[in-house]
Formats: sequence, C-alpha cells, structure tokens
Amino acid sequence: MRTPTAEVRQALPLVTVRGLKVAYDATTVLDGVDLDLFPGEMVALLGASGSGKSTLMRSLTGFAPVSAGSVRVAGHDVTNLARGELRTLRSEVGQVFQQFNLIPRLSVLTNVLTGALHGAGPINLAGGFSSAHRRRALELLDRVGIAHKASAPARSLSGGQQQRVAIARALMQRPAVILADEPVASLDPKLADSVLGLLREIATQDGIPVLVSLHVLPLALAHSDRIVGLRHGEMLVSGVTSQLDAAALEPLYDDEEHRDDDHH
Amino acid sequence: MTTTTEPRADRTARPQLDPAERARLESAFRVPRARFLIGLPVAFLLLLWSFNGAQFNFVKLGEGAVNMGEFLSRLFPPDFSKIGTILALLLETFQMAVVGTVLGAVLSLIVAFGATSTLAPRWLYYPTRWIMNIIRSVPDLVFALMFVSAVGLGPFAGILAMTLGSIGSIGKIFAEAMEQVDRGPVVAMEAVGASKRQVIQYGILPQAAPLLTSYTLLLFEGNVRGATILGLVGAGGIGLELTTAMRMYDYGHLSAIIICIIVLVTLIDQGSALIRRRIT
Repeated sequence: MRTPTAEVRQALPLVTVRGLKVAYDATTVLDGVDLDLFPGEMVALLGASGSGKSTLMRSLTGFAPVSAGSVRVAGHDVTNLARGELRTLRSEVGQVFQQFNLIPRLSVLTNVLTGALHGAGPINLAGGFSSAHRRRALELLDRVGIAHKASAPARSLSGGQQQRVAIARALMQRPAVILADEPVASLDPKLADSVLGLLREIATQDGIPVLVSLHVLPLALAHSDRIVGLRHGEMLVSGVTSQLDAAALEPLYDDEEHRDDDHH
Repeated sequence: MTTTTEPRADRTARPQLDPAERARLESAFRVPRARFLIGLPVAFLLLLWSFNGAQFNFVKLGEGAVNMGEFLSRLFPPDFSKIGTILALLLETFQMAVVGTVLGAVLSLIVAFGATSTLAPRWLYYPTRWIMNIIRSVPDLVFALMFVSAVGLGPFAGILAMTLGSIGSIGKIFAEAMEQVDRGPVVAMEAVGASKRQVIQYGILPQAAPLLTSYTLLLFEGNVRGATILGLVGAGGIGLELTTAMRMYDYGHLSAIIICIIVLVTLIDQGSALIRRRIT
C-alpha cells in the first residue's frame, strides 16, 4: 500500500497514471502500470534494462504511444493532445537525461536559457533572450553551483557539471514535474550522490515531484521517498522507501544475468 | 533501452560459439572469402577494360613527353607586361566566387532542410533529393551556357551558374551534416516544448555549424577554380583571357596568367585551411 508522508497526501497528485499499457506492434512494453506523483516527493523507478522504465517516462510526455489506460500530467490528459498542446505539456515537464543532452558548442548560460524556449516567440531568432530570463538563468546556475562557468561552452564541463546545467535548464522551464531518466548512470558514485542530492533538494524545497529512474539499488534507497519497481513491463513493487525491505526488491533484478540476451 | 519483455523461462545454457567458426577465428592465416577471390579478378578486368576504352597508351605518353616539355619550355619566361589586366580579371574572378559562394551556400542551406531525412517529411524529402541529383549530374559549364544565353555574356551569368551548381553539390553535403548531428540535444529541445524552428536553431545548427562552415570554404575554393573555367564560355572571370592567350600562342602572357591563378588559389586554400582548423 502506498502511504506518502502526511502533508504530501493532502495535496493532489501532479501525475496520475492508471492501467497504462504501451505496446509497439506485437511487443508489450508496459502493462497495467499505476503511478501517482505528489508535490515534494522524489520517487525512484527501479528495474532491469528492458523493464520499461524509459518507456514509462516517455509516455508521460507523449513520446511513447499509450495503448490503454489513462495518463494525466500537470492537468493535461496526455493520451489526447494536439501537437500544440503536446508542446505546452512538454514545456511544463522538466527532463534530465543520462547523456545530459546539452548543446555542446553553446555556452552554459544559453543552454539553461533554452529551457525557456516554449512560447518565447520569434524575438529570439537572434538568440535574444530577455534580461529577465537571463537573470533567472544565472540565479539557477548559482543554485546548482555552476555560475562561474556561465560563458564557457557546455562541452568544456565535466559530466557532473553538465548534469547540473541540465538540471538548471529543467528548472528554467518552471516545471510542474521533473523526470530524470538514468541521470547518474554516466557519473561516478560521488557525483551520482551529489546530483541525486540536488534533485531531492529541488523536490523538497520547491515542491516539484521528481521521478528518477535508477538501476543501482543503494542509490535508490538513499535518495528516494518512494520506490516503484518494474519487471517485464509490470509493476512489481510500490512503496515507501523506508518501509520496503530488501527482499521485496530482489526479484526486480533476478534475471539480470540474461540481460544481454534480451536485445537480440 | 526497452525492447522486449518476452518470458524467459527456457533459458538454461549460455549460447555457444559454433566450433567451426571458432576454429576459423583462431587460425592466423585465413582463406579469403569467395566474394574476395571472385571480386579481385573482376575488379582487375574492369580496370583493363576501362584502360582500353579510354585509349590509355603508355607508348604515346612516352613519345608525347617531348612535346609536353617543349610546350612547358615555351611558357618561360612569363610575360608580366599585361599584369594590370590579369589582376583586374583575377579580382573579378575572386568577386564572382565570393558572390557565387554566398548565394550558393544560403540557397543550399534552405534546400538542404528539405533534403534532411530527420527534418523533412517524405513528400518533400524525395523530390528535393531528386532535384539535387539532377542538378549535380549537369556540368556547371552547361549551366553557364544556359545563363549566358539568358542574361548575356559576363560575370553575372557565371555567378548564376555557380549558385545553381552549388545547390547540387553542397546542398547534399549540408543535408548530410545536419542528419549526422548528435540526437541528444534535439531530444532535449523537443522535451522543453520547442517548436520545429527552435529545434533546428538550437538542436541542429549549432552542432552542424563547423561542418557547414568547412564545406562552405571548400565550395569557395572550388568556385575560385571553377570561375576560371566558366570564362571559357564567356561567363566572366579570367578564363576568357586564358583561352585567348592560348589561341594566340601568347605563351608569356599565358604563363603569367597561370602563375597568378596558382598564387590566388594557393592563398585561398591556405587561408581557408587556417579558418577550418580554428573552427573544428
């Protein structure tokens, strides 16, 4: 049973997924997944490669086709959006990626500013973001601790720094929700800890729910309020992190050894 | 990441490497594959056949070497008495190349968006590629003749020929440069809710910019050389002076022209190499 902390429970969920099924042709990737994300909580999504973690994330922003079930994100019915509405939805959901996905040759500041592209209008054809936007972007860089690199090209930063810039870009969107798909899989353990710490701080301080997919169990135990575990596209585990015992999480990875075979 | 979720109950043993394949991989000397054994003689026959068709003849080349030496000896000493005319025409050639390159690059970029498979819808992509292929298969000289008859003799016709020709050559390369950018930033821009134009502006162009610039410089080098040829059909530049000098057996003047062209082309090649090294 889900039992989010008391104050979280009173708020309405920003993400509601019910009976989600995603299938490509004959292959069912997700089946019968339920998920709620409440303000201020950090939820870890666990599962082996191919368990459907990425697809679940993608389905929240309309990047994966929903075959059945309902997906509501920040007040939008994701299963039924026109192209323009889809862009609006995406602008309200901050996304953080495994490979950071910064624009390598543009400055750190410009990379953060791209978070405000939606609805920025044709003025920025010349790259002219407003002073207000620039001020806010710099404040966000202050917050993630990279402000001193604001004019450096993004590619000159280390992986941990790039991920912090990517988080600032997500915050620039003033997101209702943040989705982080394997955000620390390319980072060393120490950086992984600090990046997850930053995400959790954002969740608690700003009240923005963060859904983070991870494949390292100890990181999930250390940095989440709740854990949702997927296995072969089905929800196997869902519960408050502090109340879960390790035995419940073991089946998530029980066939980890055969993982390589899955992709042929 | 997420591919299949088929049940995997019947997995007992690890898959094994076929022993025959293992033996083949282990042996230091490998019998070449059949396609190689057949392909090599076929390629050699093709080469011989082509030598024959192109009337390639080593004996003739040896005999002709004397005449070639005589031709080259007549080029010396160069006669720089008409250096003023040469420089003026060379300047015109250069200016033609500048205008042709700028127009060509801008038009090529616009057309290239239609020929980029990751951006353009199918109904636009295929026609654009076809048009590019057609343009590319027509020699620039033919375009030059066409434009000379349309707008008269002079550099303007040459510029138009260069511009049109570059859409075929550089447009395709531009499109491929934009197709090959890292998808990550594109995905990120789509994820922030950027419009198509914004995705191109931030996700694609900054990544493709070094290649686009590099190819534009190559186009420029090619256009400078090309502009000397276009003069042959009266489309401006130094080419007409070059052919006239040849027809009138004015070898001193001819060699002066050639030397000046070599100097200009070398300078431009060096300059653009310098720029290219900076940006990539």
